[in-house]
Amino acid sequence: MTMSNPGRGRILGIETSCDETAAAVVQRGTSVLSSVVSSQVDLHARYGGVVPEIASRAHVDVLVPVVAQAFVEAGLSEVSAGGESAIDAVAATYGPGLVGALLVGVSAAKTLALAWDVPFIAVNHLEAHLYAALLEDPDLEFPLVVLLVSGGHTMIVLMEGHGQYQVLGSTIDDAAGEAFDKVARYLGLGYPGGPAIDALSVHGDLEAIRFPRPMAGDGTYDFSFSGLKTAVVNHVRKHPEVTAADVAAGFQEAVVDVLVTKTQAAARSVGARGLCLGGGVAANSRLRERFLDVCLADGIRGFLPSRAMCTDNAAMVASTAWYRWQSDGPSPLDTGAHPNLGLS
Amino acid sequence: MMLILGITTSTSQVGCAIGGHEGVLGSVNSARGRRHAETLTPAIEFLCRQTRVELSEISAIAVDLGPGMFTGLRVGVAAGKALAYARRLPMIGVTSLDLVAFPLRHSPRRIVCALDAGRGELYHAAYRRSPGGVERLTEPVVASPEELAADLSARADEMLLVGDGALRYQSLFDSLRRVEMADVGEAYPLAGSLVQLAHARALREDWINPAELTPLYLRKPDAEINWTTRDGVSS
Ligand SMILES: [Zn+2]
Repeated sequence: MTMSNPGRGRILGIETSCDETAAAVVQRGTSVLSSVVSSQVDLHARYGGVVPEIASRAHVDVLVPVVAQAFVEAGLSEVSAGGESAIDAVAATYGPGLVGALLVGVSAAKTLALAWDVPFIAVNHLEAHLYAALLEDPDLEFPLVVLLVSGGHTMIVLMEGHGQYQVLGSTIDDAAGEAFDKVARYLGLGYPGGPAIDALSVHGDLEAIRFPRPMAGDGTYDFSFSGLKTAVVNHVRKHPEVTAADVAAGFQEAVVDVLVTKTQAAARSVGARGLCLGGGVAANSRLRERFLDVCLADGIRGFLPSRAMCTDNAAMVASTAWYRWQSDGPSPLDTGAHPNLGLS
Repeated sequence: MMLILGITTSTSQVGCAIGGHEGVLGSVNSARGRRHAETLTPAIEFLCRQTRVELSEISAIAVDLGPGMFTGLRVGVAAGKALAYARRLPMIGVTSLDLVAFPLRHSPRRIVCALDAGRGELYHAAYRRSPGGVERLTEPVVASPEELAADLSARADEMLLVGDGALRYQSLFDSLRRVEMADVGEAYPLAGSLVQLAHARALREDWINPAELTPLYLRKPDAEINWTTRDGVSS
């Protein structure tokens, strides 16, 4: 066992990889004592996307108050009257993500660990998304297939056990969330695009316009979404009479269709016992609906994390850290940010 | 006994120091090697071991507020805020340019500090000696080296020009008659200067609320600048 004294297994997690500043206290990987997320979405909305420098500045300003709030909500005081720390380790996302944003969280987390004399644990953001499902449903059995979809990543991952991953496929260009943002901007729906398209699609006919399904049926588990915006623009130019709701519904259906079909094929080929969704796009209602249909049809146990657990949060970081700590021990204090960190 | 831990990361150098009324007990400065976040935490750990000071004995945290390189600057400010929060300590913030001027406090000349701001620009401010330190005469600003050179050539007093920005654009300043260049050993803000300056402020209980402590950027994020320009054009 590489683990230094785990105490009660209470870990403070910190997440600053993109535009959410988050802190959470999780006990033994599964019991969430608190989870605080401060979203910067309003700061970035006028630019139609996340501005790295604005994100980094906001992290510096709000991180300590967010951590303090996580202790308050967990009913803990940071240090007891006897000088003992209330938590047993501090974890932070060290990649992938925006380098300047990651550095704020990593730097603060390492310093907190030093100040409280507890271990520091560096967490891979992608791995944390995979653990979000296990955090809410610890009874999920391996092998698990996870579809991870957000503004930054789109991938199908096979999880054969704790810390054992295989990326079965991923996007070769834009992430699914980026496609939603681009099309939403074109339709004048504002930012972030995902929720806007989801809401408008309810009023549209998802069969009115059939947009292409890029790379569908090509035998791989890879995706390509960069051409979809062009397809949408061309269609609207040719048919100016279409309603925005029909365009939104048709576009969303094309994305969801490719995501779900490929995930289903991957799950079948590896004999998955469970199927999970993760990442911000996992909050999309049509994706959730189609995903559950697949699980039902194939008799696979499906799990949809709550919307709060799909989007970036620190509970998933603290939970992942518990498993990393047991398998790899603490991380060195000279850990830096790894903006292009992959999953292996 | 009041002990202060100071952190400076606003330039290419990373530094930390511990000091109090006896002066600087120890300092670590790294001019090259790994990046700020990799270097800083182990440096603080090393510093505590070498000075035989436990973090629990520290009574205030001082940080270099910039101006400087945004990413590095934030590493130090985030660490300082975390430390102050974890140990419930008061904070003191000092401008990077003040830190560069402080070691030159015995010079009778006008001290002009110019730090590299990237993108062909400088952050600068002017100082003169005053009892026990230096007095800042101008507000820190961001400007082109050519603008600063023009400012300096119009002055009649003797000047000492210091900072990594001054060295980077030395060729522009070499021809100026009343300007002497300080050397590279004085070109960066030092954590030792930070704890010395902070100690004087701590004695006056001149604290800054950690929640209100924010880096001195002097530049808006690019997107915000572009946005303002775009607004200006469209309206
Ligand atoms: Zn994410």
